[in-house]
Amino acid sequence: MNDPVSPTPRRSGRELAAAIARWVLGGVMIYMGVSKALHPVDFLKIVRQYEMVENHVALNLIAAALPWFEIFCGLLLVCGIAVRGSALLCLAMLIPFTWIVLQRALAIREAKAIPFCAIQFDCGCGGGEVIICHKLLENGLLILMSALLVIGANRRWCLRHDLRKAG
Amino acid sequence: MGWKSILLEALTLAAAGLALSLTANFLSPRGLVLARDYFPGSTGRSAAMAISAAGSNSNQAVSSAGTNSPARLGQDALAARLAAQGLQLIDGEEVKRLFGDPQYAQELFVFVDARDDRHYQQGHVPGAYQFDRYYPEKHLPAILPACLTASKVVVYCTGGNCEDSEFAALALKEASVPQERLFVYAGGMTEWAAKGWPVEAGERKSGVIQNGKP
Repeated sequence: MNDPVSPTPRRSGRELAAAIARWVLGGVMIYMGVSKALHPVDFLKIVRQYEMVENHVALNLIAAALPWFEIFCGLLLVCGIAVRGSALLCLAMLIPFTWIVLQRALAIREAKAIPFCAIQFDCGCGGGEVIICHKLLENGLLILMSALLVIGANRRWCLRHDLRKAG
Repeated sequence: MGWKSILLEALTLAAAGLALSLTANFLSPRGLVLARDYFPGSTGRSAAMAISAAGSNSNQAVSSAGTNSPARLGQDALAARLAAQGLQLIDGEEVKRLFGDPQYAQELFVFVDARDDRHYQQGHVPGAYQFDRYYPEKHLPAILPACLTASKVVVYCTGGNCEDSEFAALALKEASVPQERLFVYAGGMTEWAAKGWPVEAGERKSGVIQNGKP
């Protein structure tokens, strides 16, 4: 029977893994957000290229708010505040974004008739031009980490795991 | 903690995050103005794509003239698009000729660099004014008097698929610079530097000349 005061090595391993996932995901979100927030015009041009919205206010809103929103979620994750809600928001950003990057990559492959993993472009991810295969793999891992944090309940090294209840 | 609680937590964070994000954008010196149309006359489809599409559509007409290279088609489509907006295209050799004309030193011919601070500082056509059109309140007061008195205003950006020169020229037209004096140099800084023509680094008239002779 597990002692709630002194966790088993297996439980400790899970908690450590959850904390690392939180720090990695949070760190990546902060990095991506800062690099976009520093150059909002560059991000605006990239968002426009995706042709997601035609209304200029909606376009500006995405380009202006998304970078800071990523930083906000990243900071919450790194500090361990409202972890599941933050991770859910990361999922809500990562899944559609990965989908549109994939769609654009497929369109480029069709237009240029080149191998999928030879496609590279600035996807607006914050790191400049990237090889899309690598980006999709990276996003897949981030989605996995976000999902694990949403379903997990490890509170170790969290300032306040749940908003409504002190962690 | 159930799914309902997680969803509620996420919604609370989304509202708080959105408010904080908009505040941060408002306070940032590089923040975007939400109500401003940064791409006037555009439908969200970038000019680079429009050029490509227009090029393929006009293939038959242009090929009869024997000039159906993709670059030529792109130039023709760009020239047509600029003409529709009352602007004119100018080629590199003509820009170089204007640069070498004594009227350039007298600011009767004015060059406008439509790129951001970082690119402008790295290198621009010597004597060119910077006009980052995304921040007009910062640049327009400094360049408008020169543009209003010039007989020719050449606007350029990076070149290639860059559309900022076109939008900057439209912004100058909007600011009362007569459209017949506005020229868009589509080759841009990439072509200018590639030809080994003089490039000035740092501020305007810094005297730091690369590539060519001052």
